[in-house]
Amino acid sequence: MKVKIITNNPLVYSLYSEDYDIDYQEISYEGILKKTRDYVHKGHELLTHPLSGSVKPNETPFKTLLISSKSKDLNLESLSIIENSIETAEKFLQRQKKYSDDIEKDFMEIDLSLIENVINKLL
Amino acid sequence: MKLELGKIEITDIQFSNESRIKGSTLYVNKKEIENLILEDEHIKEVKIDIAKPGESTRITPVKDVVEPRVKVSGDGGIFPGVISKDETVGTGRTHVLKGAAVVTTGKIVGFQEGIIDMSGSGAKYTPFSQTYNLVLSCDKADDIKAHTYERAVRMAGLKTATYLGELARNIEPENIETYETLPLMKSKEEFKGLPSVAYVQMLQSQGLLHDTYVYGVDAKQIIPTLIYPTEIMDGAIISGNCVSACDKNTTYHHQNNCVVHDLYKRHGKDINFIGVIITNENVYLADKERASNWTAKLADFLGVDGVVVSQEGFGNPDTDLIMNCKKIEEKGIDTVIITDEYAGRDGASQSLADADEKANAVITGGNANELITLPPMDKIIGHIDYVNKIAGGFEGNMTEDGSITVELQAIIGATNELGFNKLTAREY
Repeated sequence: MKVKIITNNPLVYSLYSEDYDIDYQEISYEGILKKTRDYVHKGHELLTHPLSGSVKPNETPFKTLLISSKSKDLNLESLSIIENSIETAEKFLQRQKKYSDDIEKDFMEIDLSLIENVINKLL
Repeated sequence: MKLELGKIEITDIQFSNESRIKGSTLYVNKKEIENLILEDEHIKEVKIDIAKPGESTRITPVKDVVEPRVKVSGDGGIFPGVISKDETVGTGRTHVLKGAAVVTTGKIVGFQEGIIDMSGSGAKYTPFSQTYNLVLSCDKADDIKAHTYERAVRMAGLKTATYLGELARNIEPENIETYETLPLMKSKEEFKGLPSVAYVQMLQSQGLLHDTYVYGVDAKQIIPTLIYPTEIMDGAIISGNCVSACDKNTTYHHQNNCVVHDLYKRHGKDINFIGVIITNENVYLADKERASNWTAKLADFLGVDGVVVSQEGFGNPDTDLIMNCKKIEEKGIDTVIITDEYAGRDGASQSLADADEKANAVITGGNANELITLPPMDKIIGHIDYVNKIAGGFEGNMTEDGSITVELQAIIGATNELGFNKLTAREY
């Protein structure tokens, strides 16, 4: 299946940018969710859960999502999941301040782990 | 499948030259446990502490909690496929050191999870303030990856619990409880007339620090399957889940799964508890579709009248929970779901990231966003320096006197989604 990766995680970008269609932008966690919503409105199907990982939206700055590379008609289920996820993420208002580089790296690593399990099984 | 659980009550734990149980005291030879843990080259140093109920002690960041058990008869050994050989467990007799627990801590990643306070206002939110805890603080060898370190800490907890469990092998317990599940057709015949009920246990399975193992198999690789409830009591399911302290299931939670125990209490009386379906909580939406299809198919195949579904974790698993509920209900089977809530600090927001009108029987383990102030403790086991960076913590949440304000989600087991806690909500 052809997929598109949406991410703000530089580790994911460095590992997958050569082999995959990737939309990498240095924006916030919430920004990635909203960017994904834009794609869903354009007819792309959501392939991974936006709230993947139990690390909370106000904890980790990094988020990677997979969507279908092709756009079709608006997928209502995808829309419902991304809208609910944005609403849930917005409840975690008080964002952590800047982390040290080590901690940032750990967050990148966790985000990568969540998505590489999926990428490894794509046919 | 029939299992006897022999409980040996532990009401104290002390260091000694010889590891043994005398009366209700567990004596522990520290050196032997150190040697056991340091067999693993991935752990450079281990510090072993004791934490008792009522003490002014804070343990953080907690990774796992394990109850010491030993199989004294029946096939296989404790933690099959991981510590013991891969034989099917769940029959014969198992001895339990009731009241004792092994707690592991380690700075696996820079942000951290999980507080156990042994006294004060936080103590009532975690069941592990009531257990006599042997705490292992494991420091990693240089230059090993987080995956490897997590595994090493997980194994340290399981090995130590197995070592302590062995001490109870030849003690005759005063209290023995028997649990039996008959093969499906026999059970249906034996309890004809009673509504049959299955338990669907959702296992955390998303990735690094978010994993669960069944007979040693990574749960993200399974398709939903059946398991006897007594297999779970013998350690067939273990936790590799170190994230979301309030609603993760530690290995102790699996060993003592209260949904299983509560269903057994009513088994043969007003319900026929026929067994457990285990399923996973993956990131890939196609996996979720497949897993929930299979869960509903198995519930239908078993011909049950009702199902209880328990969740583990936050956000992503809400979707699995609702998919399971909806698809099982569509088979004409009544469904009750157990979850917890992230409803904002005032409790006024939408509780789950997903919902459906078929989810009309819901049990909550409480609101994980609720704030609590924990008083200072005299002794800290582990690392406190990251407490402002844990889930539920925030900048400026530590005061000069050492008290900390956190959301309940920072406390181990506070809003547990098996119901192994004291918080819930009732409608009268």
